[in-house]
Amino acid sequence: MSHHLFLLSPSDTPLYELTHYSSKPAQTTTSPLASNLPSWSTSAFAGTLTALSGASSVSQSYHVQGGGVRMGGGKDRHVIQMIANASLDVIEDVMRKDSLMYLKSVDKFNEWTISAFVTPGNMKFVLLHETRNDDGIRSFFLDVWELYVKTMLNPFHTAHTPIRSGVFDARVRASAKKHL
Amino acid sequence: MSAHPRFSVLSASSLASLDHLSPAASSTRFSLPSAPSINTTLAAPKPGVRPNIYDRNINKTRTAEVSASAFAFLFSEVVQYTQKRVSGIADFERRLNTLGYRVGVRVLELMSWRNESSSKTPKREIHFLPELRSIHTQVWRAVFGKPADAIEKSMENPDEYMVIDNDPPITRSISVPRDMNQLSCSSFTAGVVEAVLDGLGFPARVTAHNTPTDAYPNRTTILIKLEKSVLEREEAFKT
Repeated sequence: MSHHLFLLSPSDTPLYELTHYSSKPAQTTTSPLASNLPSWSTSAFAGTLTALSGASSVSQSYHVQGGGVRMGGGKDRHVIQMIANASLDVIEDVMRKDSLMYLKSVDKFNEWTISAFVTPGNMKFVLLHETRNDDGIRSFFLDVWELYVKTMLNPFHTAHTPIRSGVFDARVRASAKKHL
Repeated sequence: MSAHPRFSVLSASSLASLDHLSPAASSTRFSLPSAPSINTTLAAPKPGVRPNIYDRNINKTRTAEVSASAFAFLFSEVVQYTQKRVSGIADFERRLNTLGYRVGVRVLELMSWRNESSSKTPKREIHFLPELRSIHTQVWRAVFGKPADAIEKSMENPDEYMVIDNDPPITRSISVPRDMNQLSCSSFTAGVVEAVLDGLGFPARVTAHNTPTDAYPNRTTILIKLEKSVLEREEAFKT
């Protein structure tokens, strides 16, 4: 079960990305569309197609020619980024009306749920996840917020500087392991 | 064949000179157990010794104060530096505004974190008037140690609001010559306010103006001119 975190600046440029594989057990969900794909569709396009149709178990596209195709099933990098980008519209909508920082799940895409957290300085933290975990995600977001405040106290850091600190990365990973 | 290829680069004489690189030489003792190599002498001190900001507690300096004279010294240098590089009063105020903006971004996040992080449901302001009130008290208190003196709404223009400070601490030690008396170094404070408003989604143009009275010759008004989109949004909220 994986989580994808994106930290986005006020101008929607990604400053930090993280993929975290949780060791907590996840309930398996079968997607109805997955079984409709013919088993010979092993091209790269079909890999994306499988991903878009939300197949989380990719047993049918496993027999590829020489392993040339990466496993699809919602784990393709570009699909993840597309989902995160698409949720930004919804986040901005909700942001205007809701005065909470932690917006719970704002969007859903096949098996991915998107939760968001908006800081007072208009930084958006977007988390893609498969299972429900409101409390854990809230604590995780609060931790990331504190780390972000410490990062941006750096006078050389602007709202558009990508965050490349190793310590920041280690802390976020540790927090993800603890809460997610 | 030498057991350690890098060791062979160091001749016997340079080994002796290695001891003269005092701090670097001591780090080699803690690095590779093999012979000191050029790479390790240039390496950084061992990790975990260097303090980093992620270890500091944000609440530790919550009530810390900076001495006014130290800040006046710094600010006077800022003003002199800017004065040499600008071509007029408007440009001067704009540069001070930019500097204040950079401070304001950090003030906003830090202040919100200190106020809201303990609660389970941290909130941010989405309506303008409560936000203006919070600027008047919380931002001023966070930056200057006391709330500002007044808020006013302009009668002529619906999109203008004013925050008034009778004796702004940052300009207390600045004397402006009479021919430049439209200049207000409180543009720095205006920049702070502009950043706070921008971060929360109320884009505005914020400027500082001298409005001296008899009782308070240093009285300064921070004029906030909201953009149209904010007014439209506030109208939509009311309905």
